[in-house]
Amino acid sequence: MNDLKLPAIDYAALAPMLILFGVACLGVLVEAAVPRARRGLVQVPLGLLGLVAALVFVIAEAGTRKRTAGEAIAIDGPALFLQGAIIVLGVVALLLIAERSLEPGGPFVAQPARPVGSEADRSQAAGEGGATEAYPLVMFALAGMLLFVAANDLLTMFVALEVFSLPLYLLCALARRRRLLSQEAALKYFLLGAYASAFFLFGIALIYGYAGAITFSRIHQAVTAGTGSGVLLFAGLALLAIGLLFKAAAAPFHVWTPDVYQGAPTPITSLMAACTKTAAFGALLRVLYVGFPGATWDFRPIIGVIAILTMLVGAVLAVTQTDMKRLLAYSSIANAGYLLVGVLAMTPEGVSSTLFYLVAYGFTVIAAFAVVTLVRDADGEATHLSRWAGLGRRSPLFAGVFTFLLLAFAGIPLTSGFTSKFAVFGAAFGGGQVWLVVAGVVTSMLLAFPYLRVVVMMWLSEPGESTPSVSVPGAFTSAALVIGVLVTLLLGVLPGPLLDLTTRAGDFVR
Amino acid sequence: MSALLVVVLALPAAGAMVAALLPGERAGRVAGTVAAALAFVASLLLWFDRSAGGTGVIRPWHEVDVAWAPALDLRFHLGVDGISYPLVVLTTLLTLLCCAYTVGHVPAGGRGSALVALLLVVEVGMLGTFLALDLVLFFVFFEVVLLPMYAVIAGWGGAGRRAAARKFALYTLFGSVLLLVGVFTVVASAGTADIVALTGGAALPRGTQHAAFALFAVAFAVKSPLWPLHTWLPAAHTQAPTVGSVILAGVLLKMGTYGLIRVAVGVAPEGARWAAPVLGTLAVAAIIVGALVCLAQSEIKRLIAYSSVGHMGFVLLGVATLTATGIQAALIGNVAHGILTGLLFFLAGAVKDRFGTGDLAALGGLRERMPGLSGLLGYAAIGSLGLPGLAGFWGEAFAVIAAVRRGGPLWLTLGVIAAVGGALTAAYFLRLLRRVTHGPASPVVAGAVCGPIARLEVAAWSPLVVLALAVGLVPALVLGMASEPVRAVAEWVAR
Amino acid sequence: MSLSAYVPIIALFALAAAFALFSVGVSQIVGPKRYNRAKLEAYECGIEPSPQPVGGGRFPIKFYLTAMLFIIFDIEIIFLYPWAVTFDALGLFGFVEMILFITTVFIAYAYVWRRGGLEWD
Repeated sequence: MNDLKLPAIDYAALAPMLILFGVACLGVLVEAAVPRARRGLVQVPLGLLGLVAALVFVIAEAGTRKRTAGEAIAIDGPALFLQGAIIVLGVVALLLIAERSLEPGGPFVAQPARPVGSEADRSQAAGEGGATEAYPLVMFALAGMLLFVAANDLLTMFVALEVFSLPLYLLCALARRRRLLSQEAALKYFLLGAYASAFFLFGIALIYGYAGAITFSRIHQAVTAGTGSGVLLFAGLALLAIGLLFKAAAAPFHVWTPDVYQGAPTPITSLMAACTKTAAFGALLRVLYVGFPGATWDFRPIIGVIAILTMLVGAVLAVTQTDMKRLLAYSSIANAGYLLVGVLAMTPEGVSSTLFYLVAYGFTVIAAFAVVTLVRDADGEATHLSRWAGLGRRSPLFAGVFTFLLLAFAGIPLTSGFTSKFAVFGAAFGGGQVWLVVAGVVTSMLLAFPYLRVVVMMWLSEPGESTPSVSVPGAFTSAALVIGVLVTLLLGVLPGPLLDLTTRAGDFVR
Repeated sequence: MSALLVVVLALPAAGAMVAALLPGERAGRVAGTVAAALAFVASLLLWFDRSAGGTGVIRPWHEVDVAWAPALDLRFHLGVDGISYPLVVLTTLLTLLCCAYTVGHVPAGGRGSALVALLLVVEVGMLGTFLALDLVLFFVFFEVVLLPMYAVIAGWGGAGRRAAARKFALYTLFGSVLLLVGVFTVVASAGTADIVALTGGAALPRGTQHAAFALFAVAFAVKSPLWPLHTWLPAAHTQAPTVGSVILAGVLLKMGTYGLIRVAVGVAPEGARWAAPVLGTLAVAAIIVGALVCLAQSEIKRLIAYSSVGHMGFVLLGVATLTATGIQAALIGNVAHGILTGLLFFLAGAVKDRFGTGDLAALGGLRERMPGLSGLLGYAAIGSLGLPGLAGFWGEAFAVIAAVRRGGPLWLTLGVIAAVGGALTAAYFLRLLRRVTHGPASPVVAGAVCGPIARLEVAAWSPLVVLALAVGLVPALVLGMASEPVRAVAEWVAR
Repeated sequence: MSLSAYVPIIALFALAAAFALFSVGVSQIVGPKRYNRAKLEAYECGIEPSPQPVGGGRFPIKFYLTAMLFIIFDIEIIFLYPWAVTFDALGLFGFVEMILFITTVFIAYAYVWRRGGLEWD
């Protein structure tokens, strides 16, 4: 009883997560102690500093390949790469979140419970800052994602899933404009997310019943040994996959995506599209590559069908959208499909190409949402597609930037969209998944049309009375936009360095 | 000298950027034209200091080969040889002429400097396609062309430009998808994307070759275009602005035939032998259908557009024979068609600008109002119908000869039918001349206020006029440098 | 491992479900049904039930807030108790961990306090 055996903990390897959790707690204290007017001034540098410090530790640990904290956490190539990616994407998204100069009052409501148009609400619109709680919440979410991609057993993964999901539910509800839409989105996201978590948890239970363990190495042993009931294994894996595919927004678990992307404040949407997707696919990679590679032949056809369905649903429904944020949401769904194609290669190239795709897509999507925050009129963002008609005449620079980003989404060569699609399709081809590649190529052709439609609309229509103006971005949004566009271009023209990095980061520890 | 290859690509790219960013609209057009001129000079310089190194089937004169994305096996591999060089020069020349033409004459629709910038981007894509010696790089450049061309048609075109541009994009995207799948098939099977290594290296398995050739052939047939995948072409040509039509007909279509020779036949020779009869039959069908449809056309640009279908039919027939003669015929046919059809579109554009219509029924008696213009039109039409002594003759004649020499009942029949098609070509071009230039002046022609041929127009047209005669008289201009690489390809296929 | 290990659990499930259904069903059948006004009213923490407008109406958010805060501090006790019992075994490591845990709870507490979460009005 007295000689309790404590697990060895490598604090340096855990430092990025610890730092972010610490910063988030500090952020809560700032909320409590600092006067309202100065909170933003403290929170933004605090958050950025924390992320940079975490990134420094991730880079310092770049060579580490080990398990720590009693096998609960694996610090290996993919984990470190994904942590780095989440942090960097988080920095860019945080810049967008920190932007306050676009409209007085900012994109966040001070108190979601305030009725629209009440005295307090108008005073916020008149210039009082919005909720600064967004910053600690974002920090908690990012810290949870870092843990999510490094979790080496299913329970840690579940805890991390909840840690990053709960702040996101709250963040979704914070939009100041179109508040009811935002709250509806948050409620939907919360309810469906809770279901998904329940599925995930039930999956853990069944897998535990099958393997008698929750760490991926033991599960892998059990799967390769082939003992135990197949029913438990497949049911458990299916339920686990549902939980993860929900977060990844794969069809048919995608139904929340358009509503939530549309309702959430746009900077938060960009955070979800970039970071949550990265985290979800990071975890999916780990589950499939570390825990269940022995069952590849069993799950590949099913998840393959899901991938094709996802690509099809995303591409076909994107064509019918009339709202810019919903269109980007469906494109995000379709991209989840392409990512699944890379995942299902089940080869080292599959891992590295998926990692590359996540980074490339993340930067592009943040930049795209940054443009969305700029196109606005007196009622906030003008997201209806018809309002974007003629934007090319009104503001050629931003229309040009957005065109470039859409071309990247469409996978046109010399943008990151092409290199990343090429990488995942190449990996899947190498993994013998020709059917997925064919479906991917065909749907990416389909998917080019909604983007081209927007491009045509922006450039070839005359600006009407209702064409909104494009606000001059503040320093933060400009920075986010420039970073996003530059990375999109750079990864399209010179993908070599990052591809090398992903190749070197492709080894899981088991 | 190898750096020159990169310079040839970089000049138009830089010119496009400058043209797009310069605040002055006219300054942008001039800057773009200067860049196009420099690119033309640079492409001419490629002729010097040739050294056909290597031992493979493809022996580039100059080569640039650097790793681009090693993890994906992508290489930035450029090279130029006797097969690609004429097309490279044709591209830089036609783009220069189009840019210069735009300096003095901006079609309605948008900023002229933006049009010049887009033309230069298209040039980058086309040059890259002709220079690329890596399959993936080839695909990348092949794709680069699509969207700027779409924008040129949709932004500066005629009344039905939207629909035409959409049709163009749809067909070409369809082709691109097949091309990409083909590239994947080859790369996954061979483990390399290097065209030099693939052509003349270890042969791919038979099944892969068949699949790859089928994919490539359909993809390039859309671009060429081969009947029955040609329906985007008349719409795009008719609606595009003059410079757009010139680039489309002059160079863009060549990307298809060049790709067929270099990529499809080079990489999958067994697939080529397997599919040759089908390809030849379709090519001859294209010749006949193109000619018959032309006879029924009532609009001048549409007629020229459909004539392209027929001409490209001859080119494809040459490729389909898979003999040295046939491929030579295809190459010179490509160049001749680029020169003559480019000139024809320039002239048709001039007619439409002056009289506001391209309707053959409304035109007539041009000879009386504008003898110079009608003379040029006659020259270009006669060259295009294949009169010996002008550029159009060699490609068509040699394609027929190659088909007949190939022997066997099928090829003999194809050759004979193609020859009949050649006669039909003459018929519709003579009909065009009779309608437009001869006869009494129609009310439209008589009533229009039209200036004489401007100096700018002379400048844009005269190089093409001279080249049409030069290539016609001295076909060795093109064939001389191409004979060695073509023989190598033909031997590689025959093996 | 076969499914037979789960037979007791399934049996337990079945028993529990059967009991619940049985209780509800039997009380429906044999229970006396003498309703009066007080019995028909909704139970709301012992206070006067507010008039219910159509669709359920709005419910003061303060109730939820108080309940949630209660749960947070309640859970702290749940963790503290077993830690106290095994304090000797866990040693310094356990002590530090618990300090960290309490700190985070206090951060939340400070936030709630400063932002007026503990005030009823």
